[in-house]
Amino acid sequence: MGEGFTPRIVGFLCNWCSYAGADLAGAAKLEIPASLSVIRVMCSGRVDPVLVATALLQGADGVLIAGCHPGDCHYREGNYYARRRFALLKKTLETLGLDTERLMLAWVSASEGQRFGEVANQFAGQIMELGPNPMKTKISL
Amino acid sequence: MTDKKENAPVLVIGAGIAGIEASLLLANSGRKVYLIEKTSYIGGNVIKFEEVFPNMDCATCMIAPKQQELLADENIELLTLSQVEAVSGAAGDFSVKIKQKAGYIDLVNCIGCSACFDPCPVEVDNEFEEGLTKRKAVYIPCAGALPNVPVIDTENCLRFKGQDCQACQEACAFEAIDFNQQDKELELKVGAIVVATGFSMFDINKTSQYGYKKLGGVYSAMEIERICASNGPTQGQITLQSGEAPKSVAIINCVGREEKGYCSSVCCMAALKLCHFLKNKLPELKITQFYSDLCIPGKAYQQFYQKVKESGVDFIRAEVTGVSESAKELAVKYKTDEGKENTLAADMVILNPALEPGADSAKLAGMLNIPQSREGFFSEKEPDLTPVATAQDGIFIAGCAQGPKDIAETIAEAEATAGRILSRSG
Amino acid sequence: MAKRLGVYVCECGTNIADKVDIDKVLAAVSALKDVEVADRYKLLCSGDGQGYLKQSITENGLTHLVVAACSPKQHETTFMKVCEQAGLNPYLFQLVNIREQCAWVTPDGEEATDKAIRQIRAAISRVHYHTALEKKGMECNPDVLVIGGGIAGIKASQILAAPDRKVYLVEKTASLGGKTKRFSKLFVNMESGPGLIAGEIERLQKSKNIEVLTESEAEQILGFLGNFEVKVVSKAEDKEDKEQNFNVGAVVLATGFELFDAKGLPQYGYGTLDDVYTSLDFEEMNLADGPTQGKVLLKNGQPPKSAAIIHCVGRAEKGYCSKVCCLYSFKFDRMLQSQLPGVKIAHFYSDLCIPGKANQKFYEDTRESGVEFVRSAVTEIAGGDKGLTVKYETETGAKGDLAVDMVILLPAMETSSDARKFAEMLNIPQDDKGFLAEEHQLLSPVASAVEGVFVIGCARGPQSIAESIVQAEAAAGKILSALVPGRKLELEVKTSQILESFCTGCKTCIEVCPYGAITFDEDRRISVVNEVLCHGCGNCAAACPSGAARLKHFTFPQIYQELKEVLR
Ligand SMILES: Cc1cc2nc3c(=O)[nH]c(=O)nc-3n(C[C@H](O)[C@H](O)[C@H](O)COP(=O)(O)OP(=O)(O)OC[C@H]3O[C@@H](n4cnc5c(N)ncnc54)[C@H](O)[C@@H]3O)c2cc1C
Ligand SMILES: Cc1cc2nc3c(=O)[nH]c(=O)nc-3n(C[C@H](O)[C@H](O)[C@H](O)COP(=O)(O)OP(=O)(O)OC[C@H]3O[C@@H](n4cnc5c(N)ncnc54)[C@H](O)[C@@H]3O)c2cc1C
Ligand code: SF4
Ligand code: SF4
Ligand code: SF4
Ligand code: SF4
Ligand code: SF4
Ligand code: FES
Repeated sequence: MGEGFTPRIVGFLCNWCSYAGADLAGAAKLEIPASLSVIRVMCSGRVDPVLVATALLQGADGVLIAGCHPGDCHYREGNYYARRRFALLKKTLETLGLDTERLMLAWVSASEGQRFGEVANQFAGQIMELGPNPMKTKISL
Repeated sequence: MTDKKENAPVLVIGAGIAGIEASLLLANSGRKVYLIEKTSYIGGNVIKFEEVFPNMDCATCMIAPKQQELLADENIELLTLSQVEAVSGAAGDFSVKIKQKAGYIDLVNCIGCSACFDPCPVEVDNEFEEGLTKRKAVYIPCAGALPNVPVIDTENCLRFKGQDCQACQEACAFEAIDFNQQDKELELKVGAIVVATGFSMFDINKTSQYGYKKLGGVYSAMEIERICASNGPTQGQITLQSGEAPKSVAIINCVGREEKGYCSSVCCMAALKLCHFLKNKLPELKITQFYSDLCIPGKAYQQFYQKVKESGVDFIRAEVTGVSESAKELAVKYKTDEGKENTLAADMVILNPALEPGADSAKLAGMLNIPQSREGFFSEKEPDLTPVATAQDGIFIAGCAQGPKDIAETIAEAEATAGRILSRSG
Repeated sequence: MAKRLGVYVCECGTNIADKVDIDKVLAAVSALKDVEVADRYKLLCSGDGQGYLKQSITENGLTHLVVAACSPKQHETTFMKVCEQAGLNPYLFQLVNIREQCAWVTPDGEEATDKAIRQIRAAISRVHYHTALEKKGMECNPDVLVIGGGIAGIKASQILAAPDRKVYLVEKTASLGGKTKRFSKLFVNMESGPGLIAGEIERLQKSKNIEVLTESEAEQILGFLGNFEVKVVSKAEDKEDKEQNFNVGAVVLATGFELFDAKGLPQYGYGTLDDVYTSLDFEEMNLADGPTQGKVLLKNGQPPKSAAIIHCVGRAEKGYCSKVCCLYSFKFDRMLQSQLPGVKIAHFYSDLCIPGKANQKFYEDTRESGVEFVRSAVTEIAGGDKGLTVKYETETGAKGDLAVDMVILLPAMETSSDARKFAEMLNIPQDDKGFLAEEHQLLSPVASAVEGVFVIGCARGPQSIAESIVQAEAAAGKILSALVPGRKLELEVKTSQILESFCTGCKTCIEVCPYGAITFDEDRRISVVNEVLCHGCGNCAAACPSGAARLKHFTFPQIYQELKEVLR
């Protein structure tokens, strides 16, 4: 798709697991698509739907939220809330007729450098196929 | 109780989860802590596990924040590559001689970039990975190991064999490699000592019937832990030497229990955890567990067993008398309680050995002048009443150094040593 | 005051410089708003690098700092310390990870440079919105309330009490010692339980800093770590009720266990057949001040010639192994053998649970003394003129009968009936078995989900005495480490904050806080964060529908700034 399309993807990663996993991918010198920019949050539970929606409105072609595996959240249960919010957000976007494939929620532990690489690449690939976020051109804030 | 000088520093020996927890609590109260660790990394055995029973928490995620907190704590002085050489004095006023081996890496300059590994011409088995992968003579044991500083292994480094190699030094942009480093002797004055030196695994080679290291497809539990780990030698992929995934696995429990004369408390659960890993990765895999008694104490463990059992694992109560090779597979010969003999074919066999005292326990016990139990673990003062104290005032034990146990009990004991040391109840 | 930003890019030797064109980065960011200095350095984390950074901050009078280097996991604290030394609030600083998450993972140099520029611009925008945050301390009370005077509670009290730390030990019954004081012998060394307890009580009484309140119950506990308000009511039989109120900094729950009611399994005949006893009944029988003056006797006054010990009674119903019954059953063998030479004993069991270094020998010695072990399930205990019959079935389906004089059941240990009361009073969860749950089963075994409340001994599950004592000492360790007399409790800096004027009082945040850190202020009709309890996860900030709950250092405007720049 899209000649010369260089997507912009944001990844909200929780500090304790997924961010550490992304660091480990770095230490292993894996290749992570440059289109992914990471924003560190303390817990996936901090990521509110408004942030995600704002990202999409700002023209993000994809938004990744990654946190600790269920049961492993450093703050006990933040990721369960993240999961619930994510499900709700997807529904809302669906009803608005928006692409839900632009969103991804993943669990990546602090030892899963490899997995972080896979998640990042797979998601970036998916976004490449979807092409640019139509809101980028339609709506300009 | 002990007459200890208040607020004297504390020496913690062994930076496994027990040593880490004890150090953190003591330091947080304001005590100065010297934490000495004989290897180059902290975390002990737990960091080898991908996940831990009974809730299958991610071990790294659990431990890493504690490790980072420890490394950042200004009250804790971590000395890696260090061992106790001599101890004198009494509670409140011990003098401890420590020998710190040179690692030949400058801890201040090294940024942990690992650029020095590649050019090193030496390749040897990586013991952290149970010899399943190779490492260089300059290395860190596994990705994510902390502190993130390599060490030069003088047994294998060419330079220390009289050859003129300096490939690593040339590759280091930070002048962090210093071949002139010398082993150091330190003298520490401490008020109390916590022994948290953990356990070793029973050497399966002391048994012959299981074909360990002789037959392909026979592994130890610790090897499988690493194979299942996403930061391990196969990134969590389970394959036989042929490169194919196994179709059937036999797990043999209590290897070495007879020889050691005790039940190691955690192996049944560890075996169940392996079943859980294997079933998750290879749902079609046929797993058979050979066991004599299931030891799954504690409120949450039986449930884990039931879950594993329901996932389709067979349990056979029998004694395994031999493992041999037959055609493409392995043959596990066993005898049931009633004396019936039978054979089971499997293409992978996992041996689950006993936990035993660390190899240098006797030496350490001698230096600290504390007794060992019949089994070689450090002894409690009174097993019922003072479970973390030793016969020597001011010297405490925690974790698997005292006897085999799970992480929860290990942590509780570590916290208990802090309780004893910080107590001023007189 | 005008902002003066410093932006420093670390070469990290070759690690960053090899991939990222740092000059291009500097050119791209040096003209941004308020950027006073933009510079590169070979190795910022080195001693020299830190010195340079410190000097540069002071010389240039910087008000905000951005460092692009390695992961915050590596050196965030290093640079925060530099800020402090340079007199800059460390929260007016942002670290950009252009090593692990840029230079090392982006093969193409140009792409890496572009990404680094985006990330640094984001940090520059973000840091504009940072506010200075200060470490706070809170006065705390070092005293401790211990509930339950069994061995766990006694030991915890002993070790905690000190001239500057008072301990209140509250026991429901008239005497201390819990179950242990009724065990004539203890495994594995066969010491006396009453003897052990007497010694411990004597030690306890020597301490001037422990106030023992027997026949008392804690009726109300309000507050949080460092500051609980407690109401205890004493109800001695012959006296008037007495209410006492005091403050403590921590609470230790040591309310112990109860036995599974064997009457619930009629096949064992407990309560209907003579000479079927529970383990606790048997312990009573062995006590000099017990119903038989310490003699093991049948209902008819005769000593038994044979006994059957039935393991795991209620295990299937409870769904867990009680961990200590196998071991104390071998103690029973010795108690029977020493009183009744020649007595025949048979154990009916499925698996022996004897973990720990010293315990197998205890078992082996038992076995060698002639005790029989029958691996089977007991289907029924039948009564008759000539005594009892144990009917059993082995794992292979073979059936058998054994006639005995006496049957001893080993019922599961279950949570005490008061667990629920405390769970509700203190808002701590019970696990699926009803025991008071630990904060984290592995990592934090003696703390509860509520900070400052600890659970030890059999209140948190079946344990031996030694394990109960370890946990008592462990809770003491955690309390002694956290509540140091004369020292303030250090609080998390990046906590949540609720803006009064935005809060609609919907209480959404209260529901989602994993630490119970938010309460509702009925007067002002708004929610308030307790900074002692807040861990700074941000869950409330994400949930608040009106933007009133804000997580310091991770506020919406801060994250928004970052977001908008990385998307450019
Ligand atoms: C296969 C297997 C799987 C397991 N899985 C689980 C599980 O899933 N869940 C669970 O709860 N438990 C599990 N366990 C048990 C768990 O490993 C232990 O409870 C835990 O490791 C004990 O920690 P420790 O600190 O006492 O000892 P260790 O982890 O052994 O650490 C001891 C440390 O001391 C150092 N040291 C040793 N000697 C010296 C010396 N002389 N001087 C200086 N330093 C020294 C060592 O290098 C090491 O770093 C498992 C055990 C095995 C064998
Ligand atoms: C038959 C039998 C034999 C055993 N033999 C041994 C042995 O030989 N060796 C060994 O190590 N272990 C043995 N055990 C295990 C041992 O009993 C426990 O480890 C030990 O009792 C645990 O102590 P605890 O203080 O946690 O609980 P408990 O002994 O149950 O004490 C709890 C105390 O809290 C009090 N309490 C309860 N609710 C309240 C309330 N609401 N307010 C105030 N106070 C309250 C109770 O009155 C009691 O005094 C045996 C267990 C059984 C059942
Ligand atoms: S000197 Fe040579 S052999 Fe030794 S660690 Fe360095 S590169 Fe390897
Ligand atoms: S010694 Fe040098 S090359 Fe090796 S990891 Fe440390 S800084 Fe990098
Ligand atoms: S300790 Fe023994 S008797 Fe008790 S439940 Fe466990 S296996 Fe059964
Ligand atoms: S969720 Fe927001 S508006 Fe509702 S009570 Fe909490 S802070 Fe107030
Ligand atoms: S930030 Fe987390 S811990 Fe703090 S009040 Fe909000 S939800 Fe509770
Ligand atoms: S801390 Fe990782 S998801 Fe909560």
